[in-house]
Amino acid sequence: MIEIKGLTKQFGNFKAVDDLNLTIKTGEFFGLLGPNGAGKTTTISMMSTVLLPSKGEIRIDGRLLDRKASEEKRKLSVITQEYSMRQDMTMDEVMEYQGRLYFIPRKVMKERSDKLLEFAGLIDYRKRTVRHLSGGMKRKLMICRALLVEPEILLLDEPTAGMDALSRRQMWNMLRSINSETMTIILTTHYIEEAQALCDRVALLNGGRLQKLDTPAALIDELGKYTVDENTDGKLESKYFHKKDEAIEYLKTAAETASLRSTTLEDVFIECAGQAINKDR
Amino acid sequence: MGIITVLWEKWTEFKRDFIKITVAAMIAPVLYLIVFGLGVKTTASGEPYLNFLIPGIVAMSTMTGSFGAIVQNMSVQRLYEKALDQVMVSPTPLWQFIIGQILGGSLRGMYAAIVILLITLPLRSELIFNAQSFFIMFLNGTVFATIALVLSFLAKSYSDAPRFTSYIIMPMTFLCNTFISTDQMPAGISQVIALLPLSQASGMIRTISKGGDAGVFGYVVLFVYLCVFSALSIMFIYKKKNL
Repeated sequence: MIEIKGLTKQFGNFKAVDDLNLTIKTGEFFGLLGPNGAGKTTTISMMSTVLLPSKGEIRIDGRLLDRKASEEKRKLSVITQEYSMRQDMTMDEVMEYQGRLYFIPRKVMKERSDKLLEFAGLIDYRKRTVRHLSGGMKRKLMICRALLVEPEILLLDEPTAGMDALSRRQMWNMLRSINSETMTIILTTHYIEEAQALCDRVALLNGGRLQKLDTPAALIDELGKYTVDENTDGKLESKYFHKKDEAIEYLKTAAETASLRSTTLEDVFIECAGQAINKDR
Repeated sequence: MGIITVLWEKWTEFKRDFIKITVAAMIAPVLYLIVFGLGVKTTASGEPYLNFLIPGIVAMSTMTGSFGAIVQNMSVQRLYEKALDQVMVSPTPLWQFIIGQILGGSLRGMYAAIVILLITLPLRSELIFNAQSFFIMFLNGTVFATIALVLSFLAKSYSDAPRFTSYIIMPMTFLCNTFISTDQMPAGISQVIALLPLSQASGMIRTISKGGDAGVFGYVVLFVYLCVFSALSIMFIYKKKNL
C-alpha cells in the first residue's frame, strides 16, 4: 500500500503539488490525470525520489520512502516521460545495467531480459545503441527495463506519449497483461480514454491540488451518464443527465445538430479542469 | 556491489570509446611536452627541463583524465539523458554509486597518466616512477573525480561542463607546479597555489622521480580535499531537493 500524506512540492513561489493526500491499494491500477502543469510528473518524480518533497511524505507498506530507503526502492520501477537511458548503451547493456542496479543474479537477468525483449519484439535489435532506436522502440525498451526487476510498484509517467494509435494500443495490452493482484501500477497520462480503459481508480489533479478521486464509473455517474452535445454559434457545449429520459427530453428541445451520447471520463476531466480554471479566475 | 555496477558501466564506456579516450588523453600532454619540453630547450635547477616537466605532465594527466571522465558524463546523464533517474530510483545505495564514480574516474585518470608514461619512456631514463608515484596519481585522480562530481551536481545545463574545465582545470594546468615551480611565484600567491591538490601531487611525484622522499604533508592535503568533496557529493545526492 502506498500512502501519500500532505505531499507538497514548491519551486520558488510556485507550488507544483499542494498538500496531496492519497492512499493507493496493493494491486491497484491507479491513474493520475490532469492538464499540463497539474503536478502529475512532479508527484511521480517525488515517488521515485528524484525530487524530494518540500513537505509531506510518501510511505510504502508503512515505511518512509526516501533516497536511503533501499528496501522500499527495490519494490519500485519507473517509466519516465523522457527516455531516461544512456544513449550510448546497447539494449543489452541497458538491461544489464538495470539488473545490476537491482542486484539481480546474472543468469536470472539474462533469462528475463531475453523473454522481455522477445515479448516486446525487440530481440533482433538488442545490439543496437539507444540513440539509433525509434521513439516507439525506446518506449518499449523502457518498459522491458522497468519489468526486468519484477517490481511490486510500477510508476508510469506518460508511457504512451508520442506513440501512434497502434503502438499505443499494443502498449495498453502489454500493461493489462502485466497488471496482477500483486503489482500496483500508477499511471499518468494525457490520453483520458487510456485511463478509463485501464485504471481501477483515478485522481484528477489541477494546479497541484487533488480535485476528484474515485473509480472512472463513479466519476461518470456523479457527472451524469448521458451527455447531450450542442453546437451553438460554433461553440460545443455539453449538458449532462443522470437519466436517459431526461437527456432525450432535452434533446427534443435542443438544436438540430445536438446529439446524445454516453458520458466519458474525458467529460469529467474537462468539467473538472474548467471549474478549476473558473475558480482560479 | 553497487560500486562494481558503476565500474562495470565505466568499463563498457571505456571499451566502446577506447580509441577516442586514448587519443584525448594524449593530445594536450604531448603538445605540452613538444612545445615546452623539446621546443623550448631549457633547464630547471641545473637539470634538463624535461625532468621537471614529465612528472608535472603525468600529475596533470591524472587530473584532466579523471575530471573529464566524470564532469561531462555526469552532467549529461543528469541533465540531458536523465539516466541518473534510473540510479536514483534503484535500490543501489547512493553512497556506493558515488564511490564507484570516484574510483572509476580515478582509474581513467590513471590510464591517461600511464599513456603519458609510455610515450615519454625514451625521454626519462633518469626518472623514477614507483608504487608510491602510482598511489599519488590514484589519489590525485580521486580528488578531481570528487570535484567533478560536485560540479556536475551544481551544473544547471550540460554546457556548464566545458565552462568548469575552463575555470578550474585550465588555470590549474598552468599554475599548479606543472610547468613552473610554485616557489617561483610571487609570495602570497605561491603559498595559496601550493595548497591546491595538483601542486601537491606534481610536487610529490617529482620528488619521488628524483629518488627523494615525498613526505606526509602532500598526502594530508590530498586527503582533506578528497574527504571534503566526497562528503559534498554524498550530501548532494542524498539531500539535494531537485536533482
